[in-house]
Amino acid sequence: MITVEKLCKNFGSLSVLKNIDAEIKNGEKIVIVGPSGSGKSTFLRCLNLLDQPSAGRIMVDDVEITAEDCDINSVRQKMGMVFQHFNLFPHLTVVENIILAPYQLKKLNKDDAIKRAYELLDRVGLREKANEYPIKLSGGQKQRIAIARALAMNPEIMLFDEPTSALDPEMIGEVLDVMQELAEEGMTMVVVTHEMGFARKVASRVMFMDEGRIVEQGTPDEVFGNPKNDRTKLFLSKVLDH
Amino acid sequence: MTEPAEKHESIEEVVFAYEPSPEPFWKRHIYDFIIAAVFLVFALITAFSPQLGLDMPFFTKLRTNFINDFIVENRFMWLVSGLGTTLIITVMATTLGLTLGLTLAIIKVLDYNGKRIFFVTRLAEYYLTVIRGTPVVVQLMIIYYVIFGSISVSKILVAALAFGINSGAYVAEIIRAGILAVDRGQMEAGRSLGLTYGVTMQKIILPQAFKNVLPALFNELITLLKETAVAGYIAVADLARAGDMIRSRTFDPLLPLFAVAAVYLVMVMGLTQVMSKIERRLRRSDNR
Repeated sequence: MITVEKLCKNFGSLSVLKNIDAEIKNGEKIVIVGPSGSGKSTFLRCLNLLDQPSAGRIMVDDVEITAEDCDINSVRQKMGMVFQHFNLFPHLTVVENIILAPYQLKKLNKDDAIKRAYELLDRVGLREKANEYPIKLSGGQKQRIAIARALAMNPEIMLFDEPTSALDPEMIGEVLDVMQELAEEGMTMVVVTHEMGFARKVASRVMFMDEGRIVEQGTPDEVFGNPKNDRTKLFLSKVLDH
Repeated sequence: MTEPAEKHESIEEVVFAYEPSPEPFWKRHIYDFIIAAVFLVFALITAFSPQLGLDMPFFTKLRTNFINDFIVENRFMWLVSGLGTTLIITVMATTLGLTLGLTLAIIKVLDYNGKRIFFVTRLAEYYLTVIRGTPVVVQLMIIYYVIFGSISVSKILVAALAFGINSGAYVAEIIRAGILAVDRGQMEAGRSLGLTYGVTMQKIILPQAFKNVLPALFNELITLLKETAVAGYIAVADLARAGDMIRSRTFDPLLPLFAVAAVYLVMVMGLTQVMSKIERRLRRSDNR
């Protein structure tokens, strides 16, 4: 469970997050939507301290990760993250990408790590790419490997930062399918995305962010079907009409 | 829907189709062979000029000089031991330079990432400024005559130390550029998996950085190898000094200096070969 209290983030004089309070329970699938520049990605990146909050508190399972003496590395091992630009390690093969973290952090010995990597590759349907280098993969394949790499640490929470925004339209489906499967298995997920179809189908709660605040949240039916905030209505009318 | 992987394979085929088909060895090196043959014929004519009845002063003089320069007193051995000294200095200096350079590069990158170790960073900056701002010959002489002035110490060690310290400054900037050129998403990906900064640096950033700057690092190695030629300033009998010693003994500048130049050239060409082999191996992960 993640609890966020009065979270603020400034980049210089620019205030990106303004006093955000939020609670994410185990098993929830949160989808964060909103216009660009609204602070969605920054909010997500604060949850595992890739961006250091300027003020406020974040608790992950009763560990205050914003505390000075917090061992953030051990918290991050339980929080997988998937990036917009995949960020696969180009100098390593697919299977080496996946086993790197579990092996380095001594979660698994090399043989078990490789066995686990192949299980994950089967799951994302890319077993035959195990010994390829990332440059040989398509965008959709790269992102599925990135998901497998994050899953190799057996995380309890998965963070997705616009996972399909850098993909060709025809490859978005294969990534969303993997994510949907993950959701159905009960993974706690926080997803920043522009895929409204995915949000409708998978989200247990939709958060709408604008100008550094969560202005509206609720089930997909509530937010998409009957938005209360004017800003939400305007945004949805722009993205849903097409 | 077609598998995207197939598209990639076809692109690869196109790329390979444009690569020149490998020519036979002799054809690729035709000009090398011509040049070598000309030199060989010239050398043979010089060597056997009396037998050939070529009683021209040019050939006679060249023959006499060659004998004086290299055969008398076994003077070619001066070149051989000079070559050994040059290689020893270069190997030690390269090791020191890489170690120093890597350390300094990481200190500067840490500073850039906001993990400031104030005193150490300042020290690194002074080092870079002073070493890159003064000639290596001057540094060499300062280290030998001033710092080790009153202590008896091996000149070869002093030379290795001076060239290593000098090279370290340049290597630091090369490696730093390599680290900064790696996409910042790589560090984020490593950290998001729970790896520490150090492990991410070591396993993810540095391998990519080194691959990117390998040509520049080899350039530095080649420069260093040739730069050691100024070790003669503190009377180290390196390769260049050996050639000069022969010149001052026989008063013939041409043959000893050309011989020295040829040895340096062959070494650099050898290094270049090694470099391209290593680079090809490291390029397995991309089809550039």
